[in-house]
Amino acid sequence: MKALLAGLAAAALCVAQVPRCDLAPGWSRQGAARAYEASNLFEYMDGNAEGYLLYGFVAMHGVTCVKDGDSILIDISEFADADSAYGMFSANRDPRLPGERLGAGGQITPRRVIFTKDRFYAELAANPEKDHTAALRAFSAAIERLLPGSTAVPAALAWFPAEGQKSVRLIPESVLGLRLLKRGYVAEYEFGKAFVVQESSAEAAAAVMDKLRERFGHQGDPLQFTDRYLGRLCFVHKGPYIVGYANVVEGHDPLELASALAARLP
Amino acid sequence: MPDSSRRNFLIAGLAAPVAASAARSSADDQKHDTPPKAPILTPEFRYRTLGKTGLKVTSVGFGCMITSDASVIERAADIGITYFDTARVYQSGNNERMVGAALKGKRQNLTLSSKSGAKTKEAALADLDTSLRELGTDHLDIWYLHAKTKPADVTDDLIDAQQTAKQAGKIRFADVSTHSGQTELIPALTANPHIDVILTAYNFSMGQTLDPAIAAAHAAGKGIVAMKVMAGGFRNTKPGDKLYNTFKKDGALVAALRWVLKSSGVDTTIPSMTDMDQLEDNLKAMTGGFTKSDEGLLARQLEYIAPLYCRMCGQCDGSCAKGLPVADLLRYLTYADGYGQFSLGRERFQELPAEVAQVRCDTCSTCTVNCPHGVRVSERLSRAQELFA
Repeated sequence: MKALLAGLAAAALCVAQVPRCDLAPGWSRQGAARAYEASNLFEYMDGNAEGYLLYGFVAMHGVTCVKDGDSILIDISEFADADSAYGMFSANRDPRLPGERLGAGGQITPRRVIFTKDRFYAELAANPEKDHTAALRAFSAAIERLLPGSTAVPAALAWFPAEGQKSVRLIPESVLGLRLLKRGYVAEYEFGKAFVVQESSAEAAAAVMDKLRERFGHQGDPLQFTDRYLGRLCFVHKGPYIVGYANVVEGHDPLELASALAARLP
Repeated sequence: MPDSSRRNFLIAGLAAPVAASAARSSADDQKHDTPPKAPILTPEFRYRTLGKTGLKVTSVGFGCMITSDASVIERAADIGITYFDTARVYQSGNNERMVGAALKGKRQNLTLSSKSGAKTKEAALADLDTSLRELGTDHLDIWYLHAKTKPADVTDDLIDAQQTAKQAGKIRFADVSTHSGQTELIPALTANPHIDVILTAYNFSMGQTLDPAIAAAHAAGKGIVAMKVMAGGFRNTKPGDKLYNTFKKDGALVAALRWVLKSSGVDTTIPSMTDMDQLEDNLKAMTGGFTKSDEGLLARQLEYIAPLYCRMCGQCDGSCAKGLPVADLLRYLTYADGYGQFSLGRERFQELPAEVAQVRCDTCSTCTVNCPHGVRVSERLSRAQELFA
């Protein structure tokens, strides 16, 4: 318990920057500032907290700002690391809508902004129903400057070919719905689903490949077969990485795709 | 806008500009439903009827909230799980879209639920239309008013929204979900003739706190769905924690699910599932009874958390002779002791009325607060006073 408490206390030292309403002219704070940690996030967002915890949520600070009958809720969440914060962003952005150059990635709609920078994930929501884009842009630009750290995107994003990419997400556990693949990135394309899972070492990755062979009852390296739910798929092992494609449509070669993806990795 | 409505508000902001690209004619889909693929596993499924709705569902359903790969949902449906739950707010709407895609072609054989946390009839009905579009269906079997904590949250306006949706054929049953405040809320829902199904957090860490309310609701014909059945704490167990290895043992998590399934008042459950292994573990829970081994495992978890952590069951409300808000004080202490947020704990403590903040537990010869879950209340409150006062 002491180790747990010490760990939590250390993590809590890195609290998220507290947003302020004076970051945009004419806005003032309504009510008290909000602060939540993993243990009580449910008090704020009962029924949705688990989605944050899944990505290694550490803390959240928020305020509600008002001006001329409009209100904007601003919440900044801190996650364990930049990859996790980006993961939270990638799980919540709408892949059908365009992104915004904001931090390491953002998305703006008339009543909502989400963006990520370093280990922080910011959410702004405006009320009532109308176009709040100008105010949301002003706040989000100021908050982006306020947040410390890098605006670099996770290195993994560059591994996936951009052409035809519909979305790319960090999956915090069970990539492809397989517990063996603990955590990794998945990119969706019209022709299939690319994935990269990083293990702690080449040996660990090789061991996972062995377990995949055992689980699916197929041999080979690369490991290529057709699964009822994952379709035509191929796993390639390269150093500490397990790389591949699943649900590959006819007309594309899973092995060729997986090999090309593996070649893009360090 | 109240904070609690924020999540649905966020969704509303995003949903408006979304093109109808995801919209499908669910009626057309359902006409062309393809037969389900043959099951891969043949577990012994247990079905229960969801109160007076008449819906027959597997005793283990599927909570889709944190599922990230559609293949797990698709497989669960093929295997024979018949109840799937999502919400407008999950993953900012991405979850409903994934669930809809995973269940395409299977809809007519399944019970499907979603939720809206909207505060007004207009906003709730707008949420419902978005849910139907994203899920690719023309109706929900169950539509929950999401995350209500007290009777006053279930307003006439929201009940009217559900009745309007029912009359329009967009939902079959009107329902409410709750994570806290159940001892007060469930009896109120039981007495409400417009509510068909109650989705409640229910797990071993609550002991028998909710059993009377659940039994009465069940007897009154309400369908009872249990969520948070794994007690959450398992997810927070990390390498290095005392119980990590114990709980990571194959099948151990199922003990918590079996505990819920042994309750005759619970019709079905919706444990969250992220992978095929979890799915298969949960299927085992459906067929196996609660064992002595399960009991021992859960007892160890309770023993681990009991002395320190308040479960906010509310059973100690009003029991302090000096009028202390016991659960609140314990929570403030957790901010400081458990999470290193001393300033937050102290800030909350200092917001207490002066007559409460001045109370010192060491002036009482005996403590009138008896936590049914074993929290050492007097000791913990004394520490809170020492730290914050």
